[in-house]
Amino acid sequence: MLEPFQLPFVQRALVELLLLAVLAGTLGCWIVLRGLAFPAHAAAAAAFPGLVLADGLGFAAPLGGFGAALLFALAVGRLAARRREGHDTLTALVLVAALAAGIVLASDVFHSAASVESLLFGSLLAIGPGDVRLAVAAALIVLAATWLLGVRWLAAGFDPAAARALGVRSPLPDTLLLVLVALGAVAVLSAVGALLATALLVVPAATTRLFSDRVVPWQLATVALAAAEGTFGVWLAVKLNAPPGATIAVIAGAVFALVAAGRALAPRATEAAA
Amino acid sequence: MTALLDAAGLAVGYGGPPVLTDVSFRLEPGERVAVLGPNGGGKTTLFRALLGELRPSAGTLTASGRCASVPQTERSRLDFPVSALDVALMGTIPGRPWWRRPSRADRAAARAALERVDLADRAERTYGELSGGQRQRVLIARALVQQARVLLLDEPFTGLDATSAARLEALLAELAGEGRGVLIATHDLEQARRWDRVLCVNGRQVAFGEPAAVLTPEALAATYGGAIVTLPGRDTDAPQRVILPPHHHHHGPAR
Repeated sequence: MLEPFQLPFVQRALVELLLLAVLAGTLGCWIVLRGLAFPAHAAAAAAFPGLVLADGLGFAAPLGGFGAALLFALAVGRLAARRREGHDTLTALVLVAALAAGIVLASDVFHSAASVESLLFGSLLAIGPGDVRLAVAAALIVLAATWLLGVRWLAAGFDPAAARALGVRSPLPDTLLLVLVALGAVAVLSAVGALLATALLVVPAATTRLFSDRVVPWQLATVALAAAEGTFGVWLAVKLNAPPGATIAVIAGAVFALVAAGRALAPRATEAAA
Repeated sequence: MTALLDAAGLAVGYGGPPVLTDVSFRLEPGERVAVLGPNGGGKTTLFRALLGELRPSAGTLTASGRCASVPQTERSRLDFPVSALDVALMGTIPGRPWWRRPSRADRAAARAALERVDLADRAERTYGELSGGQRQRVLIARALVQQARVLLLDEPFTGLDATSAARLEALLAELAGEGRGVLIATHDLEQARRWDRVLCVNGRQVAFGEPAAVLTPEALAATYGGAIVTLPGRDTDAPQRVILPPHHHHHGPAR
């Protein structure tokens, strides 16, 4: 039953996923709370051409990915902060452009089309020490930033105008949140790829949001859920010989659907009982 | 006695031509001042200037105490995972550098402020689950946590039932009694009549003074333009003045 976990590469995948669960559980709650799910998805997509460039030009892949994701996240953040109409449309445009640019670069410029699939959907069973180091660093940075800036992120999301009146006028905390979204998006790429990043960064937090009414318990529940979904996903992927990133994404989506359906039906059940 | 606020010839805007001019008034400790004006008439702009968010383009503004805003409760996110205590605790943010977390003293101050507004037993409740009147008092607690001597309330009675409104009005009287100054944006002339001063704005200051002196048909007509009508009095009563429901078209940039 548990024999997949005796394989060294599965163990490495598991360690990576547990680290990413800490990162995604903590950061994911801020992403959901501040309405950054779509920008987070697009930041991961924006990282894709950066990864292809890094691969082709021979520099560190996370650097290329992070550079591209950061550029995108800050641009979107500035537009959103100015409340420009249609910044979500622009986000969608950049998302498509980034994917197209990545594919063209990979197939026609660097002829590295073989690696496209692992960049887009992750390569969880080929995790290296560099991936684990990136996950540790990203998780620690997100935890530290949450500890220091959580109150401000909360106040700014609760009522932006009142937060300004309170003196939360520096754009720095919110800019840092966007930087962390870019960092988080790049950190999960090795596990679930550019297209499935939200399976870790958004879906678990959105699921636990349905029954959480305080931030810290919500974050703890999200870390636990992301860890459980990841562990089950790796086990199932090895058992079924399925791609692990996609397996985890399917499980996360199914759990969300079940919980949401349960929440929708629950009030009716209590009404019927009353 | 030093005035809490002293504005002289104040003009405020958003970079372009000022949207509010000629504002000259004093707020003394213990006074409740009704701020009347049509939507888009500059009430919010005035508050933002008093909070230091907008720099006056002309005139002077002297404040001898901290101003804190009490916004309308619908402006905040009711689905947010925060307790009443969390919201009151947001009032401690201005008092510390960004890298400092709320201290034990901050928490004690937030709890004391909730107790002051009679919500000590609701401190751990989710903000969105409180009633409208309770939410308004949580936001007042958040202002008290900032050790504000001047409270700026934006139409705080909107949507409250009679009991909650009476309770809020009593609380505002108590806060004024403690030597605070209270500016209340409102559309309710009857309330304005009960307070100490009335400030009428409509792009400029129309009038300022005691209610009996300010709430004249001429001043109200200048404040609300054509949106005010005079109804014939019932029986032997004096004619009644009624403000027509404000039109929700916005002037100028987002308020």
